[in-house]
Amino acid sequence: MNAMSEPVLRIDSITRMFGGLAALKDVSFDVEVGEIKAVIGPNGAGKTTLFDVVTGIQKPSSGDVFLKGQRITGMRADQITSMGMVRTFQTVRLFEGMTVLENAMVGCTSRSQKGFLANGLRFPSARREERQIAAWAEEVLEEVGLETRSGELGTNLSFGQQRMLELARALASDPEVLLLDEPAAGLNPYETSELSGLLKKLRDKGLTILVVEHDMGLVMQVSDDIVVLDYGEIIAKGTPEEVQNDPRVIEAYLGIEADSDA
Amino acid sequence: MAAADKPDLLKSRTVPELTSGMRMYLIVAALILTVPLWARFIPGDVIHMDITNVMVLAGIYSCAVVGLNLLIGYAGQVSLGHSAFMGIGAYSVAILCTTFKWFPTWLGIIVGVLLSGVIGLLVGVPVLRLKGHYLALATLGLGEIAFILFRQMIDLTKGTVGITSIPPLSMFGFQFNSDLKQYYLVWVIVLLLLLFTINIVRSRVGRSLRALHSSEVAADAMGVNTARYKTYVFVLSAMFAGLAGALFALRQLYVNPESFTLTLSILLVTMVVVGGMGNLYGGIVGAIVLTFLPEVIKALPSFEKFNNYNLVLYGLLLIVFMIFWPRGIAYGLERGADLTSRGARHLHDRYRSRRIEGHSKDERDE
Repeated sequence: MNAMSEPVLRIDSITRMFGGLAALKDVSFDVEVGEIKAVIGPNGAGKTTLFDVVTGIQKPSSGDVFLKGQRITGMRADQITSMGMVRTFQTVRLFEGMTVLENAMVGCTSRSQKGFLANGLRFPSARREERQIAAWAEEVLEEVGLETRSGELGTNLSFGQQRMLELARALASDPEVLLLDEPAAGLNPYETSELSGLLKKLRDKGLTILVVEHDMGLVMQVSDDIVVLDYGEIIAKGTPEEVQNDPRVIEAYLGIEADSDA
Repeated sequence: MAAADKPDLLKSRTVPELTSGMRMYLIVAALILTVPLWARFIPGDVIHMDITNVMVLAGIYSCAVVGLNLLIGYAGQVSLGHSAFMGIGAYSVAILCTTFKWFPTWLGIIVGVLLSGVIGLLVGVPVLRLKGHYLALATLGLGEIAFILFRQMIDLTKGTVGITSIPPLSMFGFQFNSDLKQYYLVWVIVLLLLLFTINIVRSRVGRSLRALHSSEVAADAMGVNTARYKTYVFVLSAMFAGLAGALFALRQLYVNPESFTLTLSILLVTMVVVGGMGNLYGGIVGAIVLTFLPEVIKALPSFEKFNNYNLVLYGLLLIVFMIFWPRGIAYGLERGADLTSRGARHLHDRYRSRRIEGHSKDERDE
């Protein structure tokens, strides 16, 4: 019963200073198992900094991050990934010169362990692992619909497909928590709706998803819960309906969106 | 039907890839191992050098270059201090095998390789935790320090005089005391190192190295322990260079500090760049070309003192290749071979289609 109520990811009063400037001020929230939680806010609100801190790319000035009850503050990014939390990037960062399949195979790094010696001498165990990695990679490519493109260079894909490949690469690590940094940026409406379907499908498989997103349509459609950041501070939390009706949110952010949409 | 098709698709994609890689390796191995057979038919006074003799040195450089190519071409880390590791390998053998007459030369090689690895680890661990190109600067310092130590630790290294009368390599009573024996010793080692490195490159380790080369942050986020991978590949390349140095000492039978200066480090980097960064066969082509080039130039009339200008040659080659041919000679060779085989196939197809056309015409005529 207690395990049920335990949040899979707990962000506990995170502050991140850049010189005298606070990019994040005392940010706290929990992410429950199997939910899609969105972090929204105007540009410069600190969303990407939050992701960087949570995934170990930046260290917080103060505060802690807990993954599955374990304190991960100050851990290296690759350690956090092997603990079951993986991210994508706002600007697509595919590996140059690698095929679609190879990109996805790199994503399997935390699920495999054979090193220089085993691979250099082609131990049977290493060869078996390589086959397993290829099979995992093909599986995730199929999940995002890129299985027919596996032999092409990743950077030759269309922008939308590159985003999907980044998502596949993240899924290849078999994560429990998936952090997506503006996954819909640059996607056309068709691709965005494909993405929202995929996210819901992943959630229904038991994956927990934390997403930073500008596309309000996508956010309101997929998220179970929303955190609103403004100038590094949380100004609202709640369900999509609650957040949409929150006067502070409307003032800081949604009001402008609503006007321009109307 | 679809289920039956799938494994076939998988097979057709992976199997030919493997065998074509294997075929390439076997062709290269066959080429290398037959060099002494045909080289003796080229009379020495035509090209003023003995090909087998120069190829031994090229093979020694190749040992270091294969490792350095993994470091530069795959992991994207530049070392300007691999002369230090060759020096450590060479001096390990020289000191051990001359101080203790009973010390087996092959054990000297192993000590040299391990010592290079340890020094590589000591340098690599602090430097490679930093993201970016700090390794080039740190190794530049390492190379200079090593050179000064080789010169100043006179008790151990005999200073600028150097260590003479190193015994040639012998194993189980077999002495590697001729060019031909050394040729096969060195090149079999190169081929084994090459195979080991090719296997690494084609595995998850190789993909991780290429990934961190492309984006360290993204590689980190995908679970690659970038600091560890960079350190391991640096240590591995240091050990390969240590092996090259040990073989160098056992060939020259003499070492002095002047052999292990910045010029050597730059020569090794030039071999990688000229041959092809990230192309392991290319590195070997680069090593061979750059070992022969000074010999060829020196053989020209009025270029006898060319050795003084080696560094100018390396610098020029580095600049020219970086600007005009960044993928190196090997890429050019590959393209050439590809075009030739495609051209041949095209001609063959045309010939066949004509014949078939001819046949069908014949049939119609009948």
